[in-house]
Amino acid sequence: MSPAAAIPLLVVVVGFVAGCLTAVVRDGPPRYLPKWAWALVICAVVPWGGVAYLAFGRARRPGIPLETLAPVQPHDPGGPPATAPAAPPAARRRPPAGPVTIEVSGLTKHFGAVLAVDGLSFAVQPGKVTGFLGPNGAGKTTTMRVILGLDSPTGGTALIAGRRYRDIIRPLHEVGSLLDATAVHRGRTAWFHLLALARSNGIGPPRVHEVLRMTGLEAVAGRRVGEFSLGMKQRLGIAAALIADPAVLLLDEPVNGLDLEGVRWIRQLLTHLAAEGRTVLVSSHLMSEMAMIADHLIIIGRGRLLADTPAAAFVSRARRDVLVKSPRAAELAALVTARGATAGPDDSGGLAITGMDAPGIGELAAAHGIAVHELVPRHASLEDAYLDLTSGSADYHFEPAEGVAVR
Amino acid sequence: MTSWLARARDALAFEWTKLQSVRSNRWTLAAAVIVTLGVTVAIAESLASTPANRPAPFDTLTASFLGYAEYTVLPVTVLGVLVFTSEYASGLIRTTFTAVPRRGAVLAAKAVVTGAAALVVGEVLAVTCFLLTQAIVAGRHGGLSLSHPGVPGAIAAVGLALAACAAVGVAAGAIVRHTAGAIAAAITVVYLLALLCMFLPGPWNTRLGRFTMPFAAYQVASLHQRAGLLPPAISVVVLVAWPAIALLAAAAVLRRRDA
Repeated sequence: MSPAAAIPLLVVVVGFVAGCLTAVVRDGPPRYLPKWAWALVICAVVPWGGVAYLAFGRARRPGIPLETLAPVQPHDPGGPPATAPAAPPAARRRPPAGPVTIEVSGLTKHFGAVLAVDGLSFAVQPGKVTGFLGPNGAGKTTTMRVILGLDSPTGGTALIAGRRYRDIIRPLHEVGSLLDATAVHRGRTAWFHLLALARSNGIGPPRVHEVLRMTGLEAVAGRRVGEFSLGMKQRLGIAAALIADPAVLLLDEPVNGLDLEGVRWIRQLLTHLAAEGRTVLVSSHLMSEMAMIADHLIIIGRGRLLADTPAAAFVSRARRDVLVKSPRAAELAALVTARGATAGPDDSGGLAITGMDAPGIGELAAAHGIAVHELVPRHASLEDAYLDLTSGSADYHFEPAEGVAVR
Repeated sequence: MTSWLARARDALAFEWTKLQSVRSNRWTLAAAVIVTLGVTVAIAESLASTPANRPAPFDTLTASFLGYAEYTVLPVTVLGVLVFTSEYASGLIRTTFTAVPRRGAVLAAKAVVTGAAALVVGEVLAVTCFLLTQAIVAGRHGGLSLSHPGVPGAIAAVGLALAACAAVGVAAGAIVRHTAGAIAAAITVVYLLALLCMFLPGPWNTRLGRFTMPFAAYQVASLHQRAGLLPPAISVVVLVAWPAIALLAAAAVLRRRDA
């Protein structure tokens, strides 16, 4: 790729030099060239350095290969999906008929000195909504951009049904995506925005009507997007993602800035789409959003994989305890500790017991005649579990000043 | 082969739909046409009022296109720039590249669609400007007819030059990405290089200047060849070479850059 980039610049430079040389040979050198003329020549020549920088300067740093994409090959440890056997790329002209997986393996992406994604590997399965979670700056958007072929990975691969996105012909038929709902031309109407996208993949106007109806934008189709609210733009983005009825959906923060009704609408839509057998990957930095939507969770922090787990399993793994308030708390603590549970003081003045459930504690107390004033089973919220997991990997987090002094 | 054709058609339909669906594009073109016609009439009137015994500063063919050279070329070049930079500014470019992952195809489609629109506008306007000017100066200097030797070629080349400028704008937009910088780059190629060359001493002003777009356009739009400039046929090649080189550079940059 990089030698090809040199060709046009070489043509310009060689052509310019050759033109000057032939002129000098034919007409003799100029008798004199005053200082201001030299200044002008320098002014005319210097901008080419800028062009050369644009072509060659970016991302060319020592030790980072420019193009490290491996040839297309299956990576899923469970074997390639049945619908996309490891055929030569040229044979894959038609979108696969069945379910499609996204496979990311060993993905690494540097932006200069910043390591945005660091050896990330996961697979997204069809038929369920997969939540892609991580704190701000964890590398979610970068990963999605690499999957969509917008950014080139520094290392590793991101494949959709065994192919790179860039190798898919008419890709909207296979992958619908929403990266940034505000990325629309303000002066274009919703209708023309969608029509242009549809035509780019050989789709006609009837389907545009269809997605406008699906997203409830029919009434405003003729209005310019600049007048849209954020919620309407999100709907427009979803409509654009669905324009070719794709088997895979990639949505980056689709509920960001939506009101409750909008969140519910997206949740129902995504659940419905996943139930149809589609592969749905939704990113967010808020656990609470994902808790309502996702069946499966992929959690990353600082570009590394932290968890790849069913959402239910993640919930059950979350810390849980029982809050007990009793006038004879010390006795009760001794009793439960003797049965293998742990008891500690709680901030509210009660006793926090882990390792025993509430009925067990209640019966134990009754058997020993200990009065219990409060007996509250507590689940650490998903939010807490998520924070536990990611607190070590957030790019920015608050630390109390004393913490530094104590250490 | 068919799939290649289908993809080219898709990309062209995509870009054409986007170009014609933004109202400001149409207004820009309409304003450019109106201003150009007005300036052309003014120049023709001033030419018609010069005494017949004094030599006219320009031949009447060149005079037809003086207004066009500034008031059409500048807005159309800027329009070409905006084709890319407006998408970079809004982020729409990522949607474009996900719809058509081949960046070379996106660039080519944008250049072809913008260039074709510019070509149509340019040719129509070139004929109109020519006929207007000749009608106005006919009384004093004797106007030219459309069939006068050299005139059809000149009109064709003037329209082509507009398409070339639009394509330079598209390439500059793709390379620089920011509107202001890209306009500066495109204007440098379309106007300023020639201006720089005119400040050079001695024979060097035309010796280098003849390779710039304005000099080449001047040569193809003149009845009489200026000594020291390239012959009209080569000048047309120069007019096409600038956008070609710029687009090749843009393709190389687009392919290796993250969107």
